[in-house]
Amino acid sequence: MKLAVFVSDYRMTVDTLDRLSPEKMGIILVQNGVYHATLKENGTPSSLLNKSAEFYALKEDLETRGLDASKVDSKVKVIAMGDVVDLIFNDYEKTAWI
Amino acid sequence: MATTKLGFIVQRPPYKSENPKLALTHAIATQSVEVYLNEGDTVTADIAFIGDGVLNCKKDQKAMDYYGLTSTEQHIKMALLVDINIWVCKEDVEKFGLSEDDLVLDAEEFGADMTVNVVPYGEISKKMEEMNHLLFF
Amino acid sequence: MGKLTIGCFASLVGSLNLDFAVKLSAAAIEKGHTVDLWLSGNGTMLSIKDQRPFKDYSHLEKPLKELMAKGLTVTACEACAEARGYNKDVTMEGFKRHSMDWYLASTFSADRVLHIGGE
Repeated sequence: MKLAVFVSDYRMTVDTLDRLSPEKMGIILVQNGVYHATLKENGTPSSLLNKSAEFYALKEDLETRGLDASKVDSKVKVIAMGDVVDLIFNDYEKTAWI
Repeated sequence: MATTKLGFIVQRPPYKSENPKLALTHAIATQSVEVYLNEGDTVTADIAFIGDGVLNCKKDQKAMDYYGLTSTEQHIKMALLVDINIWVCKEDVEKFGLSEDDLVLDAEEFGADMTVNVVPYGEISKKMEEMNHLLFF
Repeated sequence: MGKLTIGCFASLVGSLNLDFAVKLSAAAIEKGHTVDLWLSGNGTMLSIKDQRPFKDYSHLEKPLKELMAKGLTVTACEACAEARGYNKDVTMEGFKRHSMDWYLASTFSADRVLHIGGE
């Protein structure tokens, strides 16, 4: 299964993401999920970035929050809404908003 | 003739959020989906309760007595009555110190043949692979 | 080109989930895809017409009408809307109202489904 997972929170109230193990996973950081791409609590990047996945962060949600799109973690690709559409249709078969 | 399989994954406990109830009522709506489709085509919904979502399956809910609301337990029974597959994560049930005796497992009083399946997460994960689309509640 | 079905169960004010759903719909339509948007639960708030635009609250009537003119199909859960007092008289022109089976039927012909749950 090729699964695109939308993460829209920084503090998640469910542990579902930890249990998903698709053959291919893309994690698309949107809304408050974009903090995973930039914050280093006590100097440590988000543990979410240790997962085996491709990482994307929505540019407009980064900039909405005053975050510099050029300073995201090197694992994360900054994308526009049109790129989200392309990922959904071209790179993944199913989606999960958690 | 074709079938689209939907997997409903319920991750949150009942009542505080409307999500779990809407998962059940939408799944039950598969019963009438064919009015929109060509003859022979259909959509099915399987429901999996995982994480805190397994708390929806606790039996003896009294939401009607206290809030005048149809309980999640009743909705689970209605789902069984219309032959929806229901999977409950065994590890999460045990994590909360619950056992199968604490859960709504059937709807015999309504004449339902289906029963709730308490299974390891690995089985639920395999079911997710089989689905055409996943909907997380 | 494909079909995307989006379900959104969150309210118009308070989470920006509906804003995301409408922006994603616009981007998909821009690329030539077909989009069905289903609103259930608190998401049915989007169906109310003549909401007064304030800059402190999400307001999507204008972009939604522009997208409907470009072919976006938007449907609200009738029971969820009625339960909140959003009756037919206050529903935005062009908005459809159906029972929950409409959403399921939309997924039948969808290439992709994005279900955005509620709060």
